[in-house]
Order: sequence, then C-alpha cells, then structure tokens
Amino acid sequence: MNAGTGDHLATLAAPARELGSAVHTLVEGRLYALQNVFGLGGAASAYPANAQGYSVCNCYLLKEGDRALLLDSGLAVHASSLISQIARLIEPGTRLSVYPLRINEFMSVSNVEALADAFDLEQCYSSNADAALWVDFGGRSDRPGAKADPVKTTLVKRAQRLHVGDEARGRALEAFQAPIRLIGTRWIYDEATRTLFTSDSFSWEWSLEAEGPWFLDGRGCSTTAAHVRSFLLNTRYWWLEGGDTATLRKKLAVVFDKYDIENLAPGYGRVMRGRDLVQRQYQLLDDVLASLDRSVVQARYVDRDELR
Amino acid sequence: MTPPKNPMPREIAPGLFWLGDCLEQITGGKVYHTYNAAYLLVGTDACAMVETGHPKDFPLISRQLDGLLPGLPPLKYLFVTHQETPHSGGLGRVMHKYPDVQLVGDMCDYALAFPQFAHRMVPLKGGDEIDLGGRALRLVEPVIRDLRTTWWGFDTGANVLFPADGFAYSHYHEDGHCGLCAEEAISLDIPEVSAVFADRALFWTKFTNMNLYIDRLQWLLDTLDVRAIGPTHGLPILDPAATVPRIKAGLLYGSAVAEMGPDAGGLAPMA
Repeated sequence: MNAGTGDHLATLAAPARELGSAVHTLVEGRLYALQNVFGLGGAASAYPANAQGYSVCNCYLLKEGDRALLLDSGLAVHASSLISQIARLIEPGTRLSVYPLRINEFMSVSNVEALADAFDLEQCYSSNADAALWVDFGGRSDRPGAKADPVKTTLVKRAQRLHVGDEARGRALEAFQAPIRLIGTRWIYDEATRTLFTSDSFSWEWSLEAEGPWFLDGRGCSTTAAHVRSFLLNTRYWWLEGGDTATLRKKLAVVFDKYDIENLAPGYGRVMRGRDLVQRQYQLLDDVLASLDRSVVQARYVDRDELR
Repeated sequence: MTPPKNPMPREIAPGLFWLGDCLEQITGGKVYHTYNAAYLLVGTDACAMVETGHPKDFPLISRQLDGLLPGLPPLKYLFVTHQETPHSGGLGRVMHKYPDVQLVGDMCDYALAFPQFAHRMVPLKGGDEIDLGGRALRLVEPVIRDLRTTWWGFDTGANVLFPADGFAYSHYHEDGHCGLCAEEAISLDIPEVSAVFADRALFWTKFTNMNLYIDRLQWLLDTLDVRAIGPTHGLPILDPAATVPRIKAGLLYGSAVAEMGPDAGGLAPMA
C-alpha cells in the first residue's frame, strides 16, 4: 500500500485533555496515588491494540517530614493536573525528589522538567549517572537565556536501599530491578505502607468508563487468568509463550516471599488494595507464567500484529 | 591517548546520511560507547528523518541537519521506530523546529507526550509507504522489538533496513570505532558487545528461543533484498553477507549469557 505524499494523510485528533483525575489516598499523610485518565483505543503502547475504554497514569507521592518523593513524572498531557495534585498535598518548604522507574519511557520522564520549574526539586534518582540528559526535552534548556541548571542525579544501583528524607531518620525504600520486564525497570517496596510499586506490571485492570473506579479491593475483582494471559501476550510480553518462564517465576517468588505486601501500585490502571487481593493477583500471574513455560508449550515467532 | 571521533554526519548510501553521536556507558568497569542514531533519507521531492536521537543529541543533530538540508528537498517526514526516548527523545524539538514535518509510523503515546503536535501525527501500518520521490520509506515487520508498537523502516531506493533495536551493540571508543561502519571496526568483538547490550536493554532475549527470531530476520533480509543496514544503536552495516552472521552469533551469545548481578560487575560466565 502507498500511504501517499502527505497531502492526503489522515492525522490524529488531539487527545482530550480533561478526561479526569483523582487523588487516591493509600495512607493518609504518607502515600498518595496521583491518577490521571487517558483513553485507550490503540493510543497507548502499554495496552493491547484492541483494548477499549480508559486507564489512568499513576504517579505516587511518598511524604516523610519535609521531604517528598514522586515515583514517575507522568505524561505531558497531564502536567498541569499533576502539578496541581502535588501542590495540594505538600506543604511549603517541602523538598521534592523524583524517581522515573523506566527512564526510557515518556510516562516516567515527560514532566521532570515541569516539576523542576514548579517545585524545589532536590534530585532525580536513576541507575544512569547522566539522568539529567535523559529527562531534558528542551522545556527549560532551550529557553532564550536559559542557564545551565541540570537536575541533580542520585545514582541507584541495580538493588539498593533509599530513604525519603535523611538516612538516619528517613523512611527506607528498597529499589531493585523488576523481576519481569521488557526494558530497564525498577520496582520499589515501601515497608512503611507495605506497598509494592510495580511500574508497568500488574497494570491489566482498566475500565470502560472514564470515571473508573481506579482502585480495587478483593470484593470487586473478577479478573481471570485468560485476561492476564491475553494482556501479557498483547503488550510487552509477546515473547513469553514457549519461553523460560520458570526462571521468571522464581524471580517473582523471591519478591513476593520476601515482602509483606498490602498494596500493589502499578504505573497504569487500578491500584490494588488488600493482602488477599495482592495474593490473588500474584497467583494469577504465576499461573499464567507456568502455563506459558517451554515445558508446556512450544515457542514460535509471533508477528507484531498478532492478537492472542 | 583517546582517539578523536570520526566525523559525522556520514553518507552511508546515496542520499542516506547517518547522524547523531555516541552515549557513554560503563558496564563492569569498562567504558562502552553506543549510538542512538538518526538518519536523513533524501528523495527527489522530500526528505525524511528516521529516528530523532537521544534527548541529549538534539543540539548536535540539529546542527548536522543545518549543514545538510540547504539545497535538498524539504524535510517533510519524521519516522520514529518506537516510543523509547533513545529513539524518540528529540521528537518535540524536531516538530518544533520544522513546522511542516509530519510524524509517521505507530502513534501510540506520542499524543500523550506531545499533545501540541497531535494534529501532525499520521498513523501508518505495516506495508505502508511514504513516497519521497525516487525512493520510498516503507514500514516492515519488526523482528526484534523493544515495545509492541515498534515498526522497522525500509528504504526502497538503496535497500537499506532501519531495524531500531535489532543489530544493537556497543563499540570501543578507545579503538577509534566512533563514526565507523561495522566492517571498518576490525577489533570489535560483536558477540561481547551484543551480550552487554542485551543485558542492559534486551532482557527478553534471555528468556526465549532466539533461533526463531534469527530465522525470521534472515527471511526478512532475503525477502527485502537488504543491501545495507542502519541500526539505531549499532554501527551501520554495509556488507550484510559478511557481518550479519557475526551479529547472529552475538544475539545467540547474548541470549545465552546469564544476567549480570545486582551491581553490574561484568558479564556472568556462560550458563
């Protein structure tokens, strides 16, 4: 097919800028999910091409004394909403840090510059020493007369304890490589709130309605293994079928055996609350991975647009 | 003494210029350089840019384009293979600098990250072509992909494949590899640098049967009669018959080597 020379190419409609937003309190004064809605219908790489309805982009605000940490910086289309959400939650004088859990993806890095303009941004955590270069899209540095003022980077190893606030009195977080991932991804466990932040994993709960709901407890969960399987194979994990999923299951088990998890906090979709629900969701993932292992099913090449 | 980088941009096929710069990465105490390349494809009626480079590279790529574009047909199209920022990080600045440029390819995420340019985004699918005059840029199957939304590009004029994260490998700055094509970088140990790249960026290749992907890759190269390859992260390949077997060996080796440990202290021994 010839798409033409530009005169007759159909362009996209601009996304609806105000689909909705919500702040979901996980632990009052300590942990908030800052949720901003976006439409699916093939518009987001994190969801199957045939997924309809809506999801939310989740950034998480962890507060501790005069410090706050934001996990992921959200999408540019949500910048104003996100900044308003943060401004309502932190007190004057609070120093904000940001940790993009996937430094290669817009959802993690799009708004770091905007946050640096709006708040007292103390640092950007990253496994890349040159993170300031990865979050600079010209919003600040291309302005006429701009002063060189790169965001300070605090380097994080592949597995490391961090603190919101100072090391002696602050709140400890465990940051580590995601046990299942497509690209470089960090998960974080917050012992104070018993929350596991899973970035682009456990993000298979979306809604046909822009209003959500955007959190889930055990009572409202009817998710099936078939749904999880289809989600994985049609998003970032097309390569799982017939692969070595036994090794991935072991990696996951280490995390879920080690930590006491009450909340699953993904970067997209519904936040999941309650130990029973967390266990159920983990079990679904583990069962699906077991069913995809090379000992059960033969691997084959999968074309880009094949839906399973 | 550190050798200077070889000059860029570089015309690697008639009307096809390799742009960009390296990114330094330290793994296992060793310094590796990796490209986040962009390419300029010149037709008789229009030019197209393939990839934008890493966010840090826009000032340099902008200067490279300033040096190339005068006297050429207008830059009308930007094709980005996928949404990761080492490929698309300069998107906003390119669209701002060239107000007539249309973004073509898979459009997931871009309207959310750059809503101000949504009206210039053109979704295309596999097999679609953009006619540049005398040559076209075609979207083809992305055999080795980094997101489900990846497309590879193919230049029908010089039969050049743009494989995004396929053919991804670092190079040795100390050996003067920057700005060289793969066949010129004689000391490059492609299996070793492929394994390093896989550990950092292609985790999935360690959990699947890469022979399936290598077979499909050869099928694509044969079907398209690929005569040169312009990867985003590796050095351009001008002699596929000589170099692709080394790349395949690198992919297989990279997929077979266990992941590096928590502190990235170097490649683990072969499993």
